[in-house]
Amino acid sequence: MIETKDETRSGWLVVHVRGRADAESADTLEDALKGALGKSTKVVADCAKLDYISSAGLRAVIQAARAAESLNVEFAVCSLNGNVKKVFDMSGLHHILKIHGESPC
Amino acid sequence: MWHNQAILSEAKFALQGSLKELERLAAEVEQFCAANRLDGEAAFQLNLALEELFVNAVRHGGCEGIADAAQIRLIAEAGGVQVQFRDRGRAFDPTEAPAAGLLTPLAEREAGGLGIHLVREIMREIEYRREDGWNVLRMRRIAPAAVGQTEEFKS
Repeated sequence: MIETKDETRSGWLVVHVRGRADAESADTLEDALKGALGKSTKVVADCAKLDYISSAGLRAVIQAARAAESLNVEFAVCSLNGNVKKVFDMSGLHHILKIHGESPC
Repeated sequence: MWHNQAILSEAKFALQGSLKELERLAAEVEQFCAANRLDGEAAFQLNLALEELFVNAVRHGGCEGIADAAQIRLIAEAGGVQVQFRDRGRAFDPTEAPAAGLLTPLAEREAGGLGIHLVREIMREIEYRREDGWNVLRMRRIAPAAVGQTEEFKS
């Protein structure tokens, strides 16, 4: 189960992501992130309330990052909790994605 | 020491071949970890490894729609958790499957290799057998604090 909420803050569109990004909810997450790309040139997924992520959830984030690249939108991920950050690290995504400890805005 | 060998607790459950079961999988793992005083990281990573295996079986192994598609057994041990995962899907040995390397380009990460990569990052001593139409995996998650005591843990 995943919930997202958009907020505009100092030039960024912040997508607050809450819940669990698993194989069942990954499509919802991907749609929400891709939807945000059409609304701003700077998008950040704030994951402070993201409790869990699996490879399906990572794939949703990767797809959004790729879409952002082709749309010339700056895309970042921020405020990952310890366990979620470990999954990003284990996957090597920290080499590919822009990951901020805190929100960039 | 005697208490290192003691089996503290065990959980056993079956999942139907549907991704809707992920919620129950998470709840079962939470409950097992709480009962055995395993921390949030253990619960998270056990849930993650089991989700990856289960989703592979449902999406790629032909387990979609099958009753009793997967059976899971968790046993708490000193320093870690012993995990058994069985599914009725077509034969698939994740210890042999190519896993996505850390720097695999984004485009190639979609094939499902990432899930297997995560299972291998989390679990140790992974053993695969094909048994009477079941894929049977036995493995262990060793608590990070116990990694230095791995040799003792094995014996």
